[in-house]
Amino acid sequence: MSEAEDAAKAELGSLIYDNRDASGTSHGGGPFHVTAFEAGKRAVLAATEDYRLGRPFVDSIEITMGRAARDRILDLELNKADFAEIPAEDARRAAEHGVRVSRSKPDELLALVFTGGDEPGRGKPLSAKARDAIALSIDRAAIVNFILQKEGEPAGGLLPQWSSGTAFLFSTVADPVHAKELSAQIVPAPKIVLGYDSGDSLEQAVAERIAVDAREARVQITPQAMRRGLENVTDARLIRLRMQSKSPAAALESFIDGLAVTTGLEVAGLPDSASAEDIYNRERAIVSSYRVVPLVWLPRVFGLSGRVRDWTPPGPGERWSLADVWLDGPVEAAVEEGKK
Amino acid sequence: MTFRTKLFLIFTLALVVSVGLVAAAVTEVTRRAFDQMNAQHSDALVAQFQREFAQRSEDVVHRVQGIADAEGTVRMAIDLSRPKGDVSVYVNDAAGVAKAHQLDFLDFISNDGSIISSAEWPARFGYKIDWVLQPEDWVARGSFLMKADTQEGPALALLSVSRVRVGDKDLYIVGGERLGREFIASLVLPTGMRALLYRNLDPTFQAADLIDSTGPATQADQFAAIVQKEQQEPGEQIARINWTADAANAEVFHAMPLLGRQKELLGILLIGSSQHDVVTLQRQIMLLSVGVVGIGLLVGALLGWWGAARVTRPVRQLAEGAREVAGGNWNARVNVRGRNEIGQLAKAFNQMTEQLVDQRERLIQAERVAAWREVARRLAHELKNPLFPLQTTVENLQRAKERGYGEFEEVFHESTGILLAEIENLKNIVGRFSEFSKMPHPELGSVQLNEVVRSVVKLFEAQFGAVGRPPITPELHLDDHLPLIQADATLLHRAMENLILNAMDAMPSGGVLMLRTSPAADGGVHLEISDTGTGLTSEECERLFTPYYTTKQHGTGLGLAIVQSVVSDHGGRIWVESEAGVGTSFHIELPKHPPRRSVSFPISFDYEKEKEKEAEPEKHKQEA
Repeated sequence: MSEAEDAAKAELGSLIYDNRDASGTSHGGGPFHVTAFEAGKRAVLAATEDYRLGRPFVDSIEITMGRAARDRILDLELNKADFAEIPAEDARRAAEHGVRVSRSKPDELLALVFTGGDEPGRGKPLSAKARDAIALSIDRAAIVNFILQKEGEPAGGLLPQWSSGTAFLFSTVADPVHAKELSAQIVPAPKIVLGYDSGDSLEQAVAERIAVDAREARVQITPQAMRRGLENVTDARLIRLRMQSKSPAAALESFIDGLAVTTGLEVAGLPDSASAEDIYNRERAIVSSYRVVPLVWLPRVFGLSGRVRDWTPPGPGERWSLADVWLDGPVEAAVEEGKK
Repeated sequence: MTFRTKLFLIFTLALVVSVGLVAAAVTEVTRRAFDQMNAQHSDALVAQFQREFAQRSEDVVHRVQGIADAEGTVRMAIDLSRPKGDVSVYVNDAAGVAKAHQLDFLDFISNDGSIISSAEWPARFGYKIDWVLQPEDWVARGSFLMKADTQEGPALALLSVSRVRVGDKDLYIVGGERLGREFIASLVLPTGMRALLYRNLDPTFQAADLIDSTGPATQADQFAAIVQKEQQEPGEQIARINWTADAANAEVFHAMPLLGRQKELLGILLIGSSQHDVVTLQRQIMLLSVGVVGIGLLVGALLGWWGAARVTRPVRQLAEGAREVAGGNWNARVNVRGRNEIGQLAKAFNQMTEQLVDQRERLIQAERVAAWREVARRLAHELKNPLFPLQTTVENLQRAKERGYGEFEEVFHESTGILLAEIENLKNIVGRFSEFSKMPHPELGSVQLNEVVRSVVKLFEAQFGAVGRPPITPELHLDDHLPLIQADATLLHRAMENLILNAMDAMPSGGVLMLRTSPAADGGVHLEISDTGTGLTSEECERLFTPYYTTKQHGTGLGLAIVQSVVSDHGGRIWVESEAGVGTSFHIELPKHPPRRSVSFPISFDYEKEKEKEAEPEKHKQEA
């Protein structure tokens, strides 16, 4: 099952049960209820007439699951679908083909983490100098401009600028000369295996670019697709970390928990009352270890048909607000198409 | 070895050498022909590769130019010529275009040399390719070989560059094909030939860089020497690789360097030609040659034997005739026809034998006359001495009777005594001649020569130290390991008596008589009887064995003739060595087994007549 499908199911759940309290206790039905469901293929939701916050504008939602990103964009272009989540790197192309694109704030961090260690099942540990050389060689701007087609932004810290306000303090500029100097001090020249999700074309493209950049710094990186469910021994890997909260402290805390599992990084947690300085220092400590190399911040990108109105992209931890969406009739849609 | 065998061997040898030379020549010519054929194949394949390469090059140029001329590319160039042209839009374009144009390599390169989009290595966008900015007429250059970087590592590429100029900005399109397994597989090769490609991507030989149409070449290390030689001095070369000890598994490789823009060695094309067919054919030819040689030898041997027999038959007849002549049959004739040399030789042989017989007859006649004269002379000489006293005694008797002397009775008695004595003397002379004429044939038996010598010496012991005669000291040097021989002991005894008597006569003042026996080289025995007498002159030595020749005043000249006769009857030989004032040595060699009775009489004797004489000795005696 793909990650997109997982996300779809999660979102599907949020459409049906949105009235949980903080403890997760359900207090009744959501705006929609399921009228048909084929696992992994199709689901049909119908508006709940007696939803406590009011009946949704749309009568029903037909959800097609397991569609590839290219097909989803094609569906939008052909008006076969009104709404689809599309990869950030395809947003530009989709927009060029007449798809309305809606972006969230960048809330997903794509990072390079070094997973090597002495424990069984881990790759070979790399020296801090080697990790530093690799981190300095990566051209984040090229990743954003070319691979992501200018979607997202280079990441130097673990929190985005809009969240922490201190992200600009972390450098995102590549320094291949310094990287080459560092790698020249390492004998023999470092050779590592960089893992990426085999089903994630963005990770693959980024991994290959990192390998090209590292090659210029005389570090040999071999990208390797990691199969889900299999034991993949790599020296480093790409991970995506999605912010689960708008709160920088909570977001960083969740990142630290995830990184501790992946990299074995031991960093003390943050109190809820942590100041901006505390958060920055904690970020700095993690980044300076060169065990985690933030690469880019990715927004969540949604494609909308011309008749979709009042769609608001969700923020970190928020659910899709499909209950608030309404659709233009044929006339409005035709007018909308005419404006293009 | 007979003449026939020699001739046969010469024929056979000549045949073997001739057939061997022909076989070797055929094999060599065949080998050269195959080598030439292989070379032609290789040349053809090289030419084919060059044509294929040129065609591919042209094709690549066309395709790259086609991309450059495409509307999308022109739009890209126009877009990028703007002040704020965004290259990121085109980052993924190269892969699709390359696929559409079936190119392995395609790079869109901006005016500053930065990669806009790369098909072979998509992640390499933004990096610069400087060489494309070098001032060069890319249209004139056409396609060229180059070491290209790819995501999987360096590769050998056949590239072409096109340029799209918009305003003052250029967009470069670099595209091409990979020279790899697919390229080799596309070459059409004759059976028994294959092509390999070494990608010279490292300064040293790397086995993994050698590929054939199926992938990495097996036993690539075997090519290290060829590759290293090319790396040191690029140029076409031919090398042979023996994969196993069997020459049929060898391959001849034609190596052709593949050079880049700067004439640097980028690859080596190896065109291999299996030697299996060549070696198999050579072996078949060799086998056929061996068969031909064998049959030729057999036929040649038969023909040689027949020819040798035919050629040597008259020679053998001549040899047999000569042998018969040597054996005494002077009437032998050779029946050989023909006008060739052999025929002439046979004719000459027959004429020679006829002349020999004729001359022999004349010689016998002359010898007989001479012998009779000699006998007459000897008889006259021998008889003259007793006749003279007989004549004077008879005359004394006549005078005494006429005078009537009273002493007649006394004279008569004295004269008759003298007459009787001289008559006795005459009888002795006649007896010795008779004894020589009655020489018997040897009665063979096992004889120890040392015993014969000892018995003869014992017989003369009394005479050696006789009173009133200077002493003669016998010295015996007898070899104890003397072999037994087949001989007549009585005749040998008699011969030795004569020699010892002669020695004693030669030492009137006494001396040493030495008798020495020793084994002879041919298994027989050797006897030496030496004295310390006055010795003989060379003339005496030459005539010593002539019958009736003597150096003694009262000798008959028959003693040494008897000795020679005995020795000759035993198949032996006798010779004399003498030095005046020092002494004389007689040497006798006797074979272990005397040959069958052969004619060994002097040439003056007629064999047939001699046989008649042997049969009628009394008559011969009387005639003598």
